[in-house]
Amino acid sequence: MAVASAALDAQHHEPVDQLYAETRDMRLIGFLFFLFSDVVLFSSFIFAYLYLRNSGQGWPPQGVPRPDVALAALNSAILFGSGATMHYALENWKHGKFFRYAGFMIATIILGAMFLTGQVVEYTALYTKEHVTWGGSGIFGASFFTLTGMHGFHVLVGVFYLITLLLQSVHGVYSKDKYFGLTAGTLYWHFVDVIWVVLFSIFYLI
Amino acid sequence: MDIAQIERILAIAGGVIVAVVSAIALKNDWKTPGLDNTVFKVMLALLCFGALLAIFAGAGFLGTFPKAA
Repeated sequence: MAVASAALDAQHHEPVDQLYAETRDMRLIGFLFFLFSDVVLFSSFIFAYLYLRNSGQGWPPQGVPRPDVALAALNSAILFGSGATMHYALENWKHGKFFRYAGFMIATIILGAMFLTGQVVEYTALYTKEHVTWGGSGIFGASFFTLTGMHGFHVLVGVFYLITLLLQSVHGVYSKDKYFGLTAGTLYWHFVDVIWVVLFSIFYLI
Repeated sequence: MDIAQIERILAIAGGVIVAVVSAIALKNDWKTPGLDNTVFKVMLALLCFGALLAIFAGAGFLGTFPKAA
């Protein structure tokens, strides 16, 4: 880490290369389009869920319990907390504070892993205590496990993505002026947070 | 005190911290230009909103429904 910190300090005064400066906005727009495609994917499932929910007699269907709000609220606070730590990781990188950046990055990874653990606990409780399954609990089970599972998969990918970014930054891939990968990682992680705001609201709060 | 109560207290405490921290980050970044920073500002505002939802859910103001018969 000391090597990476020294490399970061040495790179502070290097001019940004022309190609990077010219293509940075294009990369950003490209990444935002990628996130938008994910928004479309989630939106289609969310609207399908809301349509099915409002076309039935009652919600959740008879015999299917509501998911545990207390655990979901704690899990949400954990995931939103990881969004805040990720934001401060990027801010510290921009200001050349490598060790603070690494600390916030590690905190984000740990909080992401904690969220996934919470989701496993919730799934296990739903399966063992309430007998709610993907295929055996009607449209509620199918839509709940599909949407939250798809989100959980995005969080899992995000955790590995952040680990990769941390290792890359330790090995001097990024500098104070060239850090688009970290910006993309932060955007991705915020996107995962924002999707959870919607899922938390529609499955647990309304 | 059962597990659900502990989860609710932790959710409220975590939600308050996240809401305050994200609001401060949003305030600090408010005048920062650039497309990426504009997206970050929207994301931080939504993060703050999500933290408020977690607080209200933890406190029992949201997501509390009568038991099914």
